[in-house]
Amino acid sequence: MMTLIIGGSGSGKSAYAENYITRPSKETTKYYIATMQVFDSEGQKKVQRHRMLRSGKGFVTIEQSADIFHALKKMKTGKKMALLECISNLTANEMFSEAIIRNEEIVVNKIITELAQLNQQLTHFVIVSNNVFEDGNVYDETTMEYIRAMGQINNQLAKMADEVIEVVVGIPVIVKKNRKG
Amino acid sequence: MKIVIGGYAQGKLNYILQKYDSSIILDGALPSKIENKEKQLIINHFHHWVKGSILQGGSPEEEIMQFLEQYPDCIIISDEIGNGIVPIDAREREYRERTGRILIQLAARAEEVERVICGIGQKIK
Repeated sequence: MMTLIIGGSGSGKSAYAENYITRPSKETTKYYIATMQVFDSEGQKKVQRHRMLRSGKGFVTIEQSADIFHALKKMKTGKKMALLECISNLTANEMFSEAIIRNEEIVVNKIITELAQLNQQLTHFVIVSNNVFEDGNVYDETTMEYIRAMGQINNQLAKMADEVIEVVVGIPVIVKKNRKG
Repeated sequence: MKIVIGGYAQGKLNYILQKYDSSIILDGALPSKIENKEKQLIINHFHHWVKGSILQGGSPEEEIMQFLEQYPDCIIISDEIGNGIVPIDAREREYRERTGRILIQLAARAEEVERVICGIGQKIK
């Protein structure tokens, strides 16, 4: 099963996602795939805050800032589920890490293909993404390309996902639900 | 207490005013004197107050909780400001994060949370 959780900055989407992911059975490992690259003390603080939030919840953390399918190599064999946080960092990392900026179409296809492959290996895949679409600003072309890529990725993930939940001031708003039973 | 959130210019205040005959509206501010408690107290543009408090080096997280002790039945209206590109300016980032976290706290405590879009309210709590 795949769940897409979206929300803005400071919406409470991470805390919600961590509590939402299915409780694993004994033989299942629950992974947290962290995509953020730390460059400064603000990033460091963010990572620490998230580690605090997660502590005691039974996650095994994997750092995978790009090439997301490779996260699988860092997982044990056997049943597994994962929470991936978040699409905005992953997209930025895929788009801007190389000397040349990768174009939006390549980035969208790469991320969607790899996430779909990874999903096949997981009993539950919770993906956290961001709402970066509503500030009404027009940015430079590169940033607009990034926003469009994010929009397409969210669209395609929502199509693949069994459920889509928007988190607003810490409250879940169900956007799509296909849960069987 | 009740929280009303939504994007800029979505008619949040008008939506609320349709429901209350007599109210006191404070714009981006908390009361500086004791307000008439017969009337419904509405804090409009709550996010402006948070920003002002942060810029003055205040602690909006604590101040708002003290205020709620005094006015447990107030209505707080705020823009949703986190749905955009992460700002380049560190203070703008801090403002977004802290406003979001404060609203989560308030929403957890509120009896009712409504989200207004196109002038129409959706009750989400």
